[in-house]
Amino acid sequence: MWMVNLRVTSNARRVALVLAVVLILGFLLLPGQLQSVFQGVGGPLGWIISWPLSAVAGVHDRIAGVWGGYVALQGIEDENRQLKRELELLKEQNGQLRESAAATERLATLLEFKRQALPTLIAAQVIGRDTGNWYKTIIVDKGASDGILPDQGVITPAGVVGRIVKTTASTAVVLLVTDPNNAIAGLIQRTRDEGIVEGTTQGQARLKYIPLLSGARPGDRVVTSGLVEGFPRGLAIGTITRIDKEEEALFQSAELTPEVDPNRIEEVLVIQSSLVPAEKERLSMPRPKP
Amino acid sequence: MKALLYSVVIVGIVPVQSVLLPHLTLWGVKPDFGVVAVCLIGLINGELDGLLVGVAVGWALSLFSAQDVLTGAMLKGGLGLVAGLAGRQMVYLSPLVLVLGLLVVSCLVGLVTPVVLKLSPQQDLWWAIWNVALPQACLDAVIGGAIYWLMWSQFNIEQLMSESRM
Repeated sequence: MWMVNLRVTSNARRVALVLAVVLILGFLLLPGQLQSVFQGVGGPLGWIISWPLSAVAGVHDRIAGVWGGYVALQGIEDENRQLKRELELLKEQNGQLRESAAATERLATLLEFKRQALPTLIAAQVIGRDTGNWYKTIIVDKGASDGILPDQGVITPAGVVGRIVKTTASTAVVLLVTDPNNAIAGLIQRTRDEGIVEGTTQGQARLKYIPLLSGARPGDRVVTSGLVEGFPRGLAIGTITRIDKEEEALFQSAELTPEVDPNRIEEVLVIQSSLVPAEKERLSMPRPKP
Repeated sequence: MKALLYSVVIVGIVPVQSVLLPHLTLWGVKPDFGVVAVCLIGLINGELDGLLVGVAVGWALSLFSAQDVLTGAMLKGGLGLVAGLAGRQMVYLSPLVLVLGLLVVSCLVGLVTPVVLKLSPQQDLWWAIWNVALPQACLDAVIGGAIYWLMWSQFNIEQLMSESRM
């Protein structure tokens, strides 16, 4: 009996070691192929996991709703009064903006930029955060089966949230604009200087490669420049809070406060890339109307 | 029974990690239940189970993160294998020893991960140690220790370990 048990143990160990060696060899020799195999075969696994994920997220949202609606009502009266004041102010601003919007629409139509300004958007709900600690991502409840693809831009009405990095059939992972591994082409709205917006480890963002002669200053708004796939021009990214100019550096950089607070996002809009014209297409001669 | 338990761990770990654990953070860092689960499975049930469950757990977690799938599967699989090989050398494992072991192992995984993932230059090794690896290791050790202590007080762990190795 003991001999048999020993043999089984020894076999299990042997199998484990052989498997480990095969995996390590695959990791070292065929990383790309193995990666695509894992990602491809992961589709059904991701689909299965998305069910409990959605269920847990639903229960969590319901509990958060009950908490927000009934328990955390302290100070709601003050907030209500402040909101009413803000509403009055916004109503006034809204009238002015309607006028501006009408003028902008006429100009946009004239310049044939209307298609760029109104891409197709897919609404999605945030159901989770990154499963690890190394990236700042959110998980949304729409995936490949809804037409979502990697590299598509993700926004809220307030501004840019991030970009899609991974999809399963019914979920997608969005790398946030505040992640240091994300880079989006940005433009300072007032000075028209372009740069690259990267996240920082402090959860903020930074606009890099601003020309030395730029007159950028704190308070300037930074928007997408439309130079990278996924985002049309003019979506708000953040507001400059500090300019960093180092001696003998070729460029200056600026610290940004993102327009969107990544910790409070609940719903997002995914921009379908195919409907956002590429820079080459936008800069080419306008097509004559039939 | 074992297969059912492993399936529950693999499928259930993603909702726990992405929905519930963001509320249980230390300096903005959440524990990695994957590390805890794979280490415990490896220690108790041996290196083959540790390796296979580790690969599956790492793979599942990576599908819902920006982390690349292969690295996640390899790291967790390797961890399960090492835990299994270490468990084979032990006759008796107290919760305190497990806490210390998890602290060290989670720290090591935290140091290897940024190197393997080739993160942004802002996320250098020093940043990784102080901002992710150490807080995460502390949380992993406490949670792993608590789970093991519960199992230890309810079941005969030594018997389970020796049975699984037969």
